[in-house]
Amino acid sequence: MKFRCERDTLADAVATAQRTVASRSGALPVLQDLRISANADGLELIGSDLEITNRVQVPADVEEPGVAVVPKLLGEIVRKLEPGPVTVSVTGDEAVITAGRFSTSLRLKPAEDYPRLASSDGQGVRVDSTAFAAALRQVVRAASKDDLRPILTGVLMTAHAGGLRLVATDSYRLAVRDLKGVSMLAEGQRVLVAAKGLAEVQRLAGDGEIEVVLRDRDVVFRTSRAEVTARLIEGDFPNYEQLIPSSYPNRLTVSRDSLMDALERVQIVGQNRDNAAVRISMTADGLELAMSAQDVGTAQESLDAKFEGTELTVAFNPVFLRDGVEAIETDEVALDTIDPLKPATLRAAGGDDFLYLLMPVRTS
Amino acid sequence: MTARRDATILHVDLDAFFAAVEQLDDPGLRGRPVIVGGLGKRGVVSTASYEARAFGVSSAMPMARARQACPQATFLSPRMARYVEKSHEVMAILGSISPLVEQLSIDEAFVDVAGARRMLGGPAEIAATIRGRVLDEAGLCLSAGVASTKFLAKLASDLAKPDGVLVVEPGTEQAVLAPLPVSRLWGVGPATMTKLERMGLRTIGDVAAIEEQTLVGALGSGLGRHLHALARNDDPRAVVPERDAKSIGAEETFAADLHTIPKCERELVRLADRACARLRSAGLTARTVNVKIRFGDFETRTRARTLAAATDVSTVVLDVARELLSEFDVGRGVRLLGVALSRLDAVAGTQATLDLTGDAHSEQQCRTERRAAVERAVDEVRDRFGSLAVGPATLVERSDGARGRG
Repeated sequence: MKFRCERDTLADAVATAQRTVASRSGALPVLQDLRISANADGLELIGSDLEITNRVQVPADVEEPGVAVVPKLLGEIVRKLEPGPVTVSVTGDEAVITAGRFSTSLRLKPAEDYPRLASSDGQGVRVDSTAFAAALRQVVRAASKDDLRPILTGVLMTAHAGGLRLVATDSYRLAVRDLKGVSMLAEGQRVLVAAKGLAEVQRLAGDGEIEVVLRDRDVVFRTSRAEVTARLIEGDFPNYEQLIPSSYPNRLTVSRDSLMDALERVQIVGQNRDNAAVRISMTADGLELAMSAQDVGTAQESLDAKFEGTELTVAFNPVFLRDGVEAIETDEVALDTIDPLKPATLRAAGGDDFLYLLMPVRTS
Repeated sequence: MTARRDATILHVDLDAFFAAVEQLDDPGLRGRPVIVGGLGKRGVVSTASYEARAFGVSSAMPMARARQACPQATFLSPRMARYVEKSHEVMAILGSISPLVEQLSIDEAFVDVAGARRMLGGPAEIAATIRGRVLDEAGLCLSAGVASTKFLAKLASDLAKPDGVLVVEPGTEQAVLAPLPVSRLWGVGPATMTKLERMGLRTIGDVAAIEEQTLVGALGSGLGRHLHALARNDDPRAVVPERDAKSIGAEETFAADLHTIPKCERELVRLADRACARLRSAGLTARTVNVKIRFGDFETRTRARTLAAATDVSTVVLDVARELLSEFDVGRGVRLLGVALSRLDAVAGTQATLDLTGDAHSEQQCRTERRAAVERAVDEVRDRFGSLAVGPATLVERSDGARGRG
């Protein structure tokens, strides 16, 4: 295999593909490397941990087609090269990389050791890239990172009211986002996609459209820059609908930016404290945030806000609350509450396409 | 010098800690120079592996100079979260040896083993035990100094590095201290050193030999007295465990090895219960649950899981501990099981959870709340009847011949 490629092009492609290579502890060492194939169309770079696969295609001047498995080191090398053409030439178990007057030779693992990955073929549904990425941004954050509960590490994609609904929960909060008019799944169809894979999709989404190809065991997202394949997670997602209260006696409406800023300031005293809670007191006069951390100190701030309901104080994990407020894109957010122990809901004031349900912290 | 005291204070210091963790996690780096630090233009070296130190690389050296001195090294940015995790593991091991652990930094601690001697032998033996366990269980090397004071223990661990132990036997302190340069005394910087040298004082022995008043006259009363005392190994500071301990736990060694999950789980119930009772009595909650297992062949493994929210409820801890246990092959025979709780914090609140099972109205949560209430009631009963030995007493309790309860 021998090809020539611009440094910037190759560096970007390697950076994207290597994001999904297996971590050090993987069982198959070859998955820590990148698979590069070269043919008349250019290069294809693959990074995969078998759960999530990134495929990047880039133009290159291919002199001799072929396949090789190249260590991630390639990325570091290419990044540090001067702008200009880079030549990669593979013979046997050695890759020689030359650029200007620099050259390096890397030892390679046998290309045939790389597992055979399912191709990413298939026709899919096209969705607007910007809107899809925005929806993912709102939902992915609520998914669990704990591999012991694999179902909660996924984002549920389901058909809902003629559109697409995305749902994630880590059992402390729940995010639900509707994408109206996007029909990707048959009515009643539910698939669970690894949140880690969707975070990749969100990162790679650019202008234009994303093509989503749903297959038996995985789903492929084709963005303008790369293809992400994520395995579907097996199992039943919790029945999240019964968790959402049908009505709330109390509603607070407040400026999103003011609330974000106040939260950022107030939570400084609780930083690095796992169980610090921010107390939100709501009255007809507005809203007060208060936080105290033993041995550190206290902080409070009051904000103008509109409140309808009975005065109450609810405590939340400041990180979870901040995540919810941050996800909302409108100028004003609505915080709906029942009592200090029941789930509260954040949504855009006047909007109904995103909901962030949050369990309070019980303070004694 | 003060009255002769036993050498019961250990100072332990992990060798090239950040670099050692990187070498542990990536076997490809073992035996090779590894430099951890800021990789940007103005970065400095945080830690260099001993292989890199051989090329003259040292901590706080500008990264650019380190790259010149040892270009073949692997340069890595620090992964603090991982180091903190490993530090917790090591501190948990120290905590199981003696309740008197005072952590100085991420990779250093003092341990007073006066109370552990009945169980674990002399300080030198305990130092060897700690080094062996930290190597076996956490995969890291540490150096230890053993002496009658904190000052000398820290000095001794420094002299023992790397991967060594230095025990300063009572009565030999002066002999060890006397030939060392004055710069080894805490509080001697370049300015003080110049003054001391001008007085003709080059070694710690020189400082110990002169009148305190002479030193006070030259350096002022505070520093003068301080250095005079240190030079005579007079350092009354005790090892003070942090008010909030780093981990709380319970472990048990079994008379006969356990070979099945149900048998291990039955023990796990008691251990989780005991650990959580201690947690609650200290007014703390924990975020991380650690399960430790020692097999019949003495191979010891630990697994940890961090919860999304802190808890002090036994059943919550037990659920996680069970899941962690299932990752081990208990068929090999289990000699010891332990449950430890770390990332402790004072009780501020309990994060409520959504009822994802869809049972009756928030049943899981009600159950957890009911359990929490029951457990608090049990704690009260145990308190009143004194049936539960809490905390430090456990090390002494072991000497009754029971095979390891703690």
